[in-house]
This record gives sequence, structure tokens and C-alpha cells, in this order.
Amino acid sequence: MSGEGTDILTISGLHAGYGAGDILKGIEATVRRGRVVAIIGPNGSGKSTLIKTLVGLLAVRQGQIVLDGESMNALNAPARVRAGMSYVPQEYNVFRNLTVLENLKIAREFMTVRTATRSSNPLDDELLALFPELPAKFGMLAGNLSGGQRQMLAFACALTVHPKILLLDEPSAGLSPKYIADIFATVRKVNARGVSIFMVEQNATEALRIADTCIVMANGRVRMTAPASELLAMPDLRSLYLGDAREEAA
Amino acid sequence: MISFLILMSTVVCFSAILALALNFQWGLGGMVNFGLTGLYALGAYSCALLMLKGGANTFFATVGAMAIVAVACGVVALITLRVAEEDYFAIVTLGVGEMLRLVALNEDWLTKGALGLTGVPRPFGDVIAPNYYQYFQFGLAFVLLLSTVWFLNVIARSPFGRIVRAVREDDVVAATLGKHVLWARVRIFAIGGAFIGLAGALHAFYYQYIDPTQFSNIVIAYAFMAVIAGGRGAHAGVIFGAAAVMVLLEGSRFIKDLIPILDSDQLAAIRIIMVGVGLILLLIFRPQGFMREYRLKSES
Amino acid sequence: MLQTAFNGLVTGIIVTLPALAITLLFGVLKFPNFAVGSMMTLAAYMVFALNVQLGVPLAVSTAIVAVAFGGLLIGVDYLTFRPLRERGSITLMVASLGLGFILENIARLAYGNTARSFAIELARPFRFFDIRMNREQMITIVVSTLAMLAMYVLLTRMPIGRAMRAVADNPALALVRGIESPRVIRWTWFIAGILLAVGGVLIGMDRALEPPMGSNYLITVFAAAILGGLGSPLGAFVGALIIGIISELATFVIPPNYRIGIPLCVIAMILIFRPQGLFGQPYIRK
Repeated sequence: MSGEGTDILTISGLHAGYGAGDILKGIEATVRRGRVVAIIGPNGSGKSTLIKTLVGLLAVRQGQIVLDGESMNALNAPARVRAGMSYVPQEYNVFRNLTVLENLKIAREFMTVRTATRSSNPLDDELLALFPELPAKFGMLAGNLSGGQRQMLAFACALTVHPKILLLDEPSAGLSPKYIADIFATVRKVNARGVSIFMVEQNATEALRIADTCIVMANGRVRMTAPASELLAMPDLRSLYLGDAREEAA
Repeated sequence: MISFLILMSTVVCFSAILALALNFQWGLGGMVNFGLTGLYALGAYSCALLMLKGGANTFFATVGAMAIVAVACGVVALITLRVAEEDYFAIVTLGVGEMLRLVALNEDWLTKGALGLTGVPRPFGDVIAPNYYQYFQFGLAFVLLLSTVWFLNVIARSPFGRIVRAVREDDVVAATLGKHVLWARVRIFAIGGAFIGLAGALHAFYYQYIDPTQFSNIVIAYAFMAVIAGGRGAHAGVIFGAAAVMVLLEGSRFIKDLIPILDSDQLAAIRIIMVGVGLILLLIFRPQGFMREYRLKSES
Repeated sequence: MLQTAFNGLVTGIIVTLPALAITLLFGVLKFPNFAVGSMMTLAAYMVFALNVQLGVPLAVSTAIVAVAFGGLLIGVDYLTFRPLRERGSITLMVASLGLGFILENIARLAYGNTARSFAIELARPFRFFDIRMNREQMITIVVSTLAMLAMYVLLTRMPIGRAMRAVADNPALALVRGIESPRVIRWTWFIAGILLAVGGVLIGMDRALEPPMGSNYLITVFAAAILGGLGSPLGAFVGALIIGIISELATFVIPPNYRIGIPLCVIAMILIFRPQGLFGQPYIRK
């Protein structure tokens, strides 16, 4: 492929799990700087486990996670955020008992300065442009927002630290079509500003539309890695990973 | 020396019954009884009062004590029926135990308050010669201990026990089964309560004198230590745990000889401190007793 | 009647500090800590040592001990609860019970069972409208109010306070938002230590200093926190006041020795009718 400098995130031989036995059985994946990588796959393929392991919520049993040349294995979750990895969980992704403003503040209060400026307003101009509707809601408790609004807030929180890479766990899950479109539009805009994106998605079609590369996962393994355009062109996307799953079971 | 061993073994026996009751309520039912001391006192006082004021013989007093504590436990479980959270249950049982202790201390007309009840009869006390009584007493306690183990085992292995265990492990199952489940919890707690009552009755027979100071924190610390040392759910383990803890406690009495400058209050304090430290150390270094808590907690 | 209500208010105010400590500890550490009663006791005796044995004025003694006690609790947590962090709330509750035994009996070992009191000058009670107020009650009201205000500022305006609320709300999310949980835990213990030390002194002024003084309040404090909603600081405050007033008014019908029955009934009723208390949020225990 190309030299280390162009890869922002490298995952090699990753094994992880919750109890006896691994859920992730040797994941290999790369995110090139400034690109969008989408992971798709059926339920139970280990997509969520993968993200949790990357972020530091689950221990690495074997393998390496390298962010911009720096190994993440020994770092705990907060340290990984400081290193440049930011995360939007699928659910429970905001502090419901804190206000919108407090959520935004706390997202970067404990970071050493990776941000260019440390203004008192957690939303600098860049973010304000991306999330214009948030300031009006600063005083509201995050728990009182709608699902879509919480998702937007979670996004904004993850972005206040100006991460190198943004990890998204099923960003469109449970959202109405309007919000799904908004979310993916935001992902595009964020990516346009140079933030690499690593996205786990159930909604394969949407994911493929904005991704550069697509990784198909099943049963804890990578089944296929290909440019998204190729996969989009395929007649029947389902048979792609369903077929592999059947193969695996046999 | 033999005498001392026989007597100590007797105490181990009814203390083990108490520990087994805690183990049953906790291990099978998932309900931690922080009010154990108070309920134990309830058993002992009930037994004594049934004999002294009610004129019952030792057998009926024992059965009565078992019933009373069983009902008390049932009521407590009933109140907390809606809330399966172990935290709240622990707090309520703590409060109940505390209340019972206060009643024992304050209701002079019933319990003679701090003075305590004296002259408590014991099973076949008139029939067996004093020289030999301790052997009988030990034999009786031992037999009752074995019966307790057998009975609790039978329940644990019964279909009823299996349901309770399944429900304890899996909240979804619990939610689906609904009301029956909750009643099972009441029954488990009550059955455990009956054996707390039995232990209390044996306590009364052994000491023949009951006062509130006998029911201090050491009781519950001891029971916890026996259960933790023995490994939750394993009956033999709990009994050995009880024996081991008793040796420790009895052994600590000899500190008095080593440090003559301390008075009895201070020595009592040191013993409890040691028990507390022992409890914490056991928790840290002997995790095998807590299988339930090893169900892996996913991070989010 | 008004006098009783006032006395109840003061009792409630005394309870606000430990209730807040319990609710903060529960929010961040996720288990009810049964050692808080004994912690108050030990702190009170430490103040006694400075105040009566060394002659340091009460206010200064309290301030010194409060800070020292906060540090002490950080150490206690490190030794006792930290090794058990992953083990589930029952283990932690049992450990806290054992810790309670240890702390209370350290006090008993050092000072025996006889009741003691702080070195305070006697002052005449004064009347405020129809209510008789003594100096200790005045001090209690002022100190507690200041403490509550300080806590309010801490929790709402300062980063560490926000972090404590965040961890209580969602520990996993807090991790991925860069909040180091050991640091938050240390601060929580430090603050709890201060609250418990001051609370212990207020109890010692209200009643006598004796080894069971703190644990006698344990059920009451828990009732206050549960009534308000475990984990909600505002709830702890409101719950404590309500419990205090109800307990005091109940002495009209219940003998004073059984005062503890009231908080217990309150807990039972809350659990039956509204388990999350007045202001609590159901915490997602995943």
C-alpha cells in the first residue's frame, strides 16, 4: 500500500472479547488520513465490540491499535481521547442530567490542550457552523432533548476536542429519516475539514454513500475490504455478507 | 481441654447454621441480609420468652422462634418486593436489624432491657446430668446442623430452587415470570429466616442467659466471614469457614493475656477491629465466593 | 408545635451534610456506603482530640480535621475499596460494613464508651419570635448553609463538580469524554470527608460524643438520601430536611427511643411507591 504517514489508524491482528472466547478474532483494518471508513455487517458480527476495543472500553487481548504512529494498546480510554481519538457511542451518548452547555464543556475540560484555542465558549466558529441550533439549547437538560438532538449534541461533544479521528457507533440507529440525512450530512462536513472517520453502521446503503472504503465484518472477522464505490455497484449487497456468514457456519 | 473443645464446637454448630441461613438467602435468593444480627436476636429472645413467659417447652419454643423469624423475614421481603435492587434491600434489612436491637434494649417490660433474661431452660436440661450435658448439647447441635444442610440442599435442588436461581441470574426471565418470581423471593427469605430462628434458639439454650450485648456487630461479621471464607453456595465450605472464623475469634480472646494494660472495653474494641480487618481482607483475597458478581459487566 | 418543627428543621439540617456525602459517594462509586456513620464518629473524635485535649478552638479544630479527614478517606478508599472496585455492590457494601466496625472501634479503643463533649462556652439560648434557639443550633444552621452553598457552587460551576455529576450519570461515557475516574473518585472522597467531618462535629454538639453516635444516624441519613433520590444532591438536601421535621414531629406519637422507626418507614414507603425518590433518576446499571 503506502507509507505509514498516510495511515491515521492501523488495526492489526486484533483479538478481544467479554468472557471465555474472543468476539474479535484477528481484525485487520486501516484508515487513511482524511478518509471515511465504514464497517458493515450483520448483527453479532462484532462491530460494536470492535469500536469499544478501539476506544478503550474493552481490553485488547492480542494485536495492535496504532493511531498516527502511536500505539494505543497501553493507553486507557481518557488517554486515547487525548491522543486524538474521539467517540460517539450509539446510545447513552450524552450526560442526561447535565445541560447541553455542561455536556459540551465537560467534553474538553479534562483534555490537555490539543485544541488550537481555549476559548470559554466550547463551540468555536467551526463547530458553530456545523451545529447552529445548539446554542439556543444551552440551558436545557440533555435528557430532555429528542433522540436526534441528543445525537447531534453527542457529535458536537466529540468534536470539541478537534480529534484526529472520529469513531462513530451506528450514528443513524433509531433516528427518523430527516435526522439520518442530517447526521450523514454532518459526517461529510466534518470529514471535509480533515477529520478521519471510522464508522460502524447497520444502514449499509447510507454508509456506503459517504464512505471511501468499506469493510465487511462477520463472525468477528474481516470478510472483505473494498472501495465503497465497488460495493455500491454490486447488484445484491446482502448476499455478500450473508453468504460469507453461511460459509463460516458450515 | 476436651470440655473447651466440645463447647466451642457446639458454638460453631449453631453459628454455622446462622451462616448457612445467610448463605441460603444470599446465595440462592440473591438477598443479602444486613439485619442478620437483629433477626438472630429476635430468634433467641422469642425462644427464651416463649419458655419463660409462655411456658412452652424447649421444642415448641424452638419451633415458635423459627416461625416468628420466618414471618419477620417474609414481611421484610414483601415490602421490598417491588424493588429488586440489592442496594435498597440491604439498607432496609440493616434498618430492620437496628430496630430489633432497639426493641430488645428498650422494651424492659418484655425483654428486661439491658439486664437481659436469665434462667433460660434448655432441652432435657432436667433429665441429663450436668456432667454429660455438654456432650448431648453438642450432639444435638450437630444433628440440627446436618439437618439444616440437608433441608436447605433439598430446597436448592428442587424445581422451586431452580426457578429462583434462574431468576436471580437473568433479569429478563425474572420480568417475564413476574409475580410468581417475587413470591419465590419472599419464600426463600422466610425459609432462611426460619433457620436464623433455629440458630437463635440454640444460642438461647447454650448460654441460658440473653442480653443485648450478645448481639453485637461481631455476629454479622462472623457470619459474613464464614460465608465468604467458605465460598458461597458450597455448604461444606461454609461450615469449615464457620469453624475457621470461630478459631480466630476464640483465639483473639487470648490477647487479654498478652496485653494486660487494656481494659475489657478496649479489648472488645480490638477484637471487633480485627474482625473488620479480617472481613475486608477476606473480601479482597478470596473472591471465589461471589460467582454472581463475576458475570462480566460490559462497560456500557 | 412550631418549636418542634424548628427542632426538626435543625435535626434535618444536621443530616444534610452526611446525606449529601452518601449521595455523592453513591453517584460516583455506585454502592451505599455503610461506613459513613462511623466516619462521622471518628472525625468527631479527632476534633475532640484537638479541641479538648490540645485546646484548639472548635472552629479551627474542625477545619483542620475536615481537610485531614478528606485526605484520610482517600487513603482508606485506596486500601479498602479500590481493590474491590470491579466486584459488585454487595461486596462493596459488606466491605463498608467491616470498615464501619473498624472505624467506630478505633474511636472506642482510644476514648472508651463514656460520653464526652466538645469544649464550647455555655451561652444562653435566645428567642426568635416564639422559638427558642440555642447557640449550637445557630452554629449548625449557619455552618450547614455555608457548606451547602459551597457544594452548590462546586457541583454546578467547577469542572471537578461537573465531572462528579458526569461520572454519576454515565461512567462509561465519562471515560470516553476524557474524565479520569480515579481522579474523580479521589475528589469525591475528599469532599465526602469534609462533609462527614463537619457533620460529625454538628452531631457531637447536638448530642454527646460516644462511639455509636455516627452509626445511630446511619438509617436516618440513608432515608434522607433515598427520599431525595440516591444520587441527587438537591434530593439529599430536601430529603434531609423533610426527614428531620417528620422525625421530630413524630415524637408526639412515638417514644423517642424508636425515632429510627420513622426513617425506616419512610424508606419502606419510598421503595413501595416511588423507588427513585423525589429527584432521582433511575440509574442504568449496565
